[in-house]
Amino acid sequence: MRIESRAAALRSHTLLTVLSLLSVLPLYWMLVTALRAPNEIFSTTPWPQNPSLDNFAYILGGVPILRMLWNTAIVATLTTIAQLITALLAAYAFARWKNKWSQALFALLTVTWLIPAQVVMVPGYLLVTRFDMLDTLAALVVPHAASAFAIIMLYQALRAFPDELIEAAVIDGAGHLRILRSLIVPNLKPALASLAILLFITSWNDYFWPLLVTRSQDSAVIQIGLQMFMTQEGNQWGPLMAAASVASLPLLALYVVLQKQIVDSFLRSGLK
Amino acid sequence: MTHEISRRTALSLGASSLAASAFAPAPSFAQRIAPPSSAPVSITYYNYNLASAGIGSEATKELIAEFTAPQPNIKVEGVPVSSGQILARVQADLVAGRTPDVAQLVFSDLDFVVRNLGVKPMTDIVPPEEWAAHTGGMVPAGLNLGALDGKVYGLAYVFSTPVLFYNATLFKQAGLDPDMPPATWAAVKEAALKLRAATAKNGVYPGVYSEFDWLLQGLFLSNGGRALSEDRRRVTFGESGAVGAIEMLRDLVKSGAHAKLAESESGDAFMSGNLGMILTTSVYQRAFLNAAKDKFELRAAKMPSFGDKPARPTNSGSALFILSKDPVKQRAAWELVKYMTSKRGYTVITSKIGYLPLRLDIVDDPQYLGAWTRENPMVRPNLEQLTRLNQWVAFPGSNYRQIARIQIAAVNEAVFGDGDIAKIMREAQERAQALMPRA
Repeated sequence: MRIESRAAALRSHTLLTVLSLLSVLPLYWMLVTALRAPNEIFSTTPWPQNPSLDNFAYILGGVPILRMLWNTAIVATLTTIAQLITALLAAYAFARWKNKWSQALFALLTVTWLIPAQVVMVPGYLLVTRFDMLDTLAALVVPHAASAFAIIMLYQALRAFPDELIEAAVIDGAGHLRILRSLIVPNLKPALASLAILLFITSWNDYFWPLLVTRSQDSAVIQIGLQMFMTQEGNQWGPLMAAASVASLPLLALYVVLQKQIVDSFLRSGLK
Repeated sequence: MTHEISRRTALSLGASSLAASAFAPAPSFAQRIAPPSSAPVSITYYNYNLASAGIGSEATKELIAEFTAPQPNIKVEGVPVSSGQILARVQADLVAGRTPDVAQLVFSDLDFVVRNLGVKPMTDIVPPEEWAAHTGGMVPAGLNLGALDGKVYGLAYVFSTPVLFYNATLFKQAGLDPDMPPATWAAVKEAALKLRAATAKNGVYPGVYSEFDWLLQGLFLSNGGRALSEDRRRVTFGESGAVGAIEMLRDLVKSGAHAKLAESESGDAFMSGNLGMILTTSVYQRAFLNAAKDKFELRAAKMPSFGDKPARPTNSGSALFILSKDPVKQRAAWELVKYMTSKRGYTVITSKIGYLPLRLDIVDDPQYLGAWTRENPMVRPNLEQLTRLNQWVAFPGSNYRQIARIQIAAVNEAVFGDGDIAKIMREAQERAQALMPRA
């Protein structure tokens, strides 16, 4: 019996080890390619013949990659904070004040989530231009300060929140802000953390909107920086992989620190 | 790899096309650009080479800096926009009232740009004597690339022709003579089959499967076909010349001479040494040379022909358009366009980026490209094709990209499938014709 369970454990561990290695392989290949010379890029050897940091030197010298990383971090952080605040307020309003329009309003909000971003891109661009925000980091944050997805997610969490607790707080004389600050936020921490992670990753990976509203490399984000190595004159795989390695480091670090919460947040939202 | 258009780009273009439809073409006017002046002026220059890292961006920045250094009154803001995005961005900025003064736009957008963005023919706004003085030394075929209805709207800027790059090392291993590259498609097939049998590598990849159909159009033309009729009213990629060209491609596939690769991976396959021949843009030369260094010998040949019919190479690339309506800015824009397409401009563009010079008189001139051409003889087949260059024709109307998409989907189905080629192409032609503007 014990031998059988050990054999089963061995089998499953072997399978998981293989799957883990397969998952890590693209990352490994990215790093190895970043260390290869141009004439070695397509080599299938598992490690470079003459490893060099030339590609890293090239990306740091040729494109303001660190500046772009910094911009991306600022934009992703501010967007996440803004979306969390607006979502919390909106979800609270939806959960607390029910009237005959509530459902219709919420349905309308849900529908906006289904509108492809590209459809509203030009009107959004015109607004940004009118407010003279073109080529600023504000243009990347302000139009995305509210997220229908975030509101829906938090609304679901708030619906499960016991009304009795809120009513008790009201009886104790707490106002709405106090209820939010002292009661709801502390109790919704796991949901808020999960959502924050998802919003941060989405904002970090955003490519299209930044492409439209940035006009200079100094205000660009990392996703645009990566695209710059895919040129009309051929893809520069070595520098591209070096840039991708540098770009993935912050998210990788975040993942290492918040591994459990990230997995939870993906499971919670049903997204992959 | 090059000129690929992503789904996101297409969506964006669609969105901005909606916006663009809100503004009608500006009424025609014959206002000329202002005379030269030393008054300060700022212009914006949308350029897709600036949006890439490396040689394209460096060379463009160098040229802009050289242009502004002796005339500090002109300030040029180079705005980097990727090639797939540049038209969408120009449209959005037109709607936003921030019209760029000069824009580098892809030739396939020519009809849309002329009919929808209110671009004036350069020959109408530039004084005739200045136009003649500047374009005097240019290759006539090249000058025609940015022309529509007999008028030049965009001055050809960075462009290339189709080149058959081949791996001479694999040729030798297969017992083929690398000094005698295949000149016809029949010879290409024969060489590819020999190469495949001897080396177990892929034979040939004709890079004609992109929505940017410049190379496909060259293939059709070489077999007496066309993608669009000369009067620009009929889609013609379902007619016999084009169908014959596709039959040749099907034959390459069925015989095993044609590499089974996606367009996006063909260049990488060639650079990795796993592909014997590739017909593609000459601008990849530098990337190919880098990959081939110490690995295999890279060589280049002209575009293959169909038997005795002369090959008719087309061009890829883009032209410079003056979009400004302000005569003073138009003057500054024209001065910039002149510099970018000057002898010095093309010396930098050709030697540093790898595109073709619109001026053949600089090729052997020691003051310009002379030394570089001697060191880079591989550019010769490309230069030879320049004199007999055929225009990459832009489909008309606002559905032009859908038409190109229908065309390439049909070509893929016809080449790689088993259906009746003539039927597939004819049906696609009918679908595309329905999207053409009504006369």
